[in-house]
Amino acid sequence: MSTETCLQTAASLLAAWAQETTGPEPGRADVVIASGDLIAAAGALIDARWGYLTAITGLDLGPDDGRLEVLYHFACGAAIVTFRVRVPREGAAVPSLVSVIPSVSFYERELMEMFGVTVEGTPNTDKLFLPEDWPDGVYPLRKDFSMEQLNGQGGG
Amino acid sequence: MPTEKFVIPIGPQHPALKEPGHFEFNVDGEVVKAASVRLGYVHRGIEKGCETRNYVQAAYLVERICGICSHVHATAFSLGVERLADVEAPPRAQAIRQIVAELERIHSHLLWVGVAAHEAGFDTLFMYSWRDRETVMNLLEGITGNRVNYSANVLGGVKCDIGPEQAEVILEGLRFLEERTRHYLEVVSTDAVFLRRTRGIGVMTRDDAERLGVVGPTARASGVPRDVRVDAPYLLYREHPVELIVEQAGDLEARFKVRVRELFESFRVIRELLAALPDGDLTTRMPRRIKPAETVSRIEAPRGELFYFIKSNGSDTAERVKVRTPTLPNMASVVVTAVGHQLADVPMILAGIDPCFSCNDRMAVVRQGGEAEVWTWERLRQYGIEHYR
Amino acid sequence: MTLKLDQTWQAALDKLRTWARINSPWAIHFNSGSCNGCDIEILATLTPRYDVERFGIKLRGSPRHADVLICTGPVTRQARDRLVRIYEQMPEPKFVIAVGSCALSGGAFRGCYNIMGGIDQVIPVDAYVPGCPPRPEAIIDGVVKLLAKLQGHDTSPGPVVIGEPDANPALAPQPEQEEASA
Repeated sequence: MSTETCLQTAASLLAAWAQETTGPEPGRADVVIASGDLIAAAGALIDARWGYLTAITGLDLGPDDGRLEVLYHFACGAAIVTFRVRVPREGAAVPSLVSVIPSVSFYERELMEMFGVTVEGTPNTDKLFLPEDWPDGVYPLRKDFSMEQLNGQGGG
Repeated sequence: MPTEKFVIPIGPQHPALKEPGHFEFNVDGEVVKAASVRLGYVHRGIEKGCETRNYVQAAYLVERICGICSHVHATAFSLGVERLADVEAPPRAQAIRQIVAELERIHSHLLWVGVAAHEAGFDTLFMYSWRDRETVMNLLEGITGNRVNYSANVLGGVKCDIGPEQAEVILEGLRFLEERTRHYLEVVSTDAVFLRRTRGIGVMTRDDAERLGVVGPTARASGVPRDVRVDAPYLLYREHPVELIVEQAGDLEARFKVRVRELFESFRVIRELLAALPDGDLTTRMPRRIKPAETVSRIEAPRGELFYFIKSNGSDTAERVKVRTPTLPNMASVVVTAVGHQLADVPMILAGIDPCFSCNDRMAVVRQGGEAEVWTWERLRQYGIEHYR
Repeated sequence: MTLKLDQTWQAALDKLRTWARINSPWAIHFNSGSCNGCDIEILATLTPRYDVERFGIKLRGSPRHADVLICTGPVTRQARDRLVRIYEQMPEPKFVIAVGSCALSGGAFRGCYNIMGGIDQVIPVDAYVPGCPPRPEAIIDGVVKLLAKLQGHDTSPGPVVIGEPDANPALAPQPEQEEASA
């Protein structure tokens, strides 16, 4: 399957949930998906055996914007389809994909501890990378993270 | 005696594997029932560090994510940043990047053959493969000036050239290594003692491999044709392609064979590139500030697909750098494949994915009465060896 | 050992123990946040080309068997307690060699949120081997010089430093100390 056909197949599979589709680079498609549709949309790709989930990226748009983006990158050959799920920074939550992709747990654990995004229904919420004595509510990859925040709360 | 349920923590420190990671295995008698992982002993906060350093500084930082596959990190980062800046490295630079990348694969796979053999109690193979690995370390040092963390990449090109004399030295080294690799392929596919530790152990079916999203040699040993060099060629892999090496068995033996057979492809591609090394500059001009955009950069590291997501914001510093290393998806497969196996096989299964983290050294056997006994990894490894004697 | 011996015997025993230790120091290696670069070079010192066993040095898996702790990498928050525990588990007398720029000062990772600084922020260090990573020869040099010091051949005060301290910015006094105090 050529990269173009891959992307077209993905577009038709995702048509029901895509709120907006853009092509930032050749071979890539960014699809905006509501967090409520995430499981269904991922399921559509997986059921059709379209590639695999290669990574989950968290993206903090900053306190001014007030939103976080969670990017789910699916790769099939050279084609990459990225789900962009936008959630508010306060009380950020996305559903877990573990029912569709059982191995997603590591990616979700990383997302939770780095960005403070609650992943609803993920089986393991233990810390994966950060130390046990890391203070609650401090998320290092958020834009407003500072070392003072860390040391002030006795994290050292 | 009623069956006791043991929780066996392994990690996080050990002399043979390099980075620390922590596992907990629930065992029923001898058989592993469940496993869980805790990483982060070497978590340094590099993704955040990249947001506070400019692109040039960040290139040095990402190179130090991993000392074994440092070049692929720097290459993935450079390719991504170059794409964001609409700059393409000159062809000669791309060829040199690819040569160093394949040499790095040779060094990494030989290193792994040794470490995995050590876990199986086959220290002779460990010593031989590491002795031969010094040849490729010499070649890398000859090209870049350093044995590890070569810093061959700069943004917009490479800093080191390969002259005709250097090329001759590399070809000579490859001749020796190819001969030795043939020997290793014979060892890992015929040595009866070794096969008892690898054949039929840690089996992952093709369905499992696809479902778990494993990458690299671990996937290819289960028959999944997945290799970024082939699927989405970068550098000069379109002009000088590598053949996809796939094995169907999905066990440890297949993982050994895939890695060793891949080396022959690396030798061939390096020779091809040296024979057709394009002329021209080594670097091209890079802007300091990069317009806001996002890009994805994927590279086939020795352990599998390495994924970079880079977002620029118009300044000389990245807005976000996301790194997903091949070990993370492969680690999920350990948790699955270890279940149902003998405890004695666990070190080999762990080594089988070539984890880029180091497990180790202590295992506590907690009996039901609460009395605890601590085992070192060494003792677990010895136990694994004794078990098969 | 709490054995009561008269002075002559105690002196003889100490001498014997030093002799034995210097002839065959056993080492343990701990990675407290390294990128692996130094670790594979340490491993390379064990293998046929460098073969550190000709100095009687053997790498052990357990801190309780070890005389020398070879540390690589900056100290991460998660690994810090582990490093202290390993150090405490080693029998006296014990020596620490910090290998690599990160182990000396935090190196390239200085300022990252999960980094506490170099090894000497957490445990005392007896020898410093700079480099990113140091060559196996430099690591062997570090061990051998430390042994010379234990034998009393080298009587200079302070820890062993490989290379010219002035030429190594990593070894220069740092202007601001990390907040890490063990």
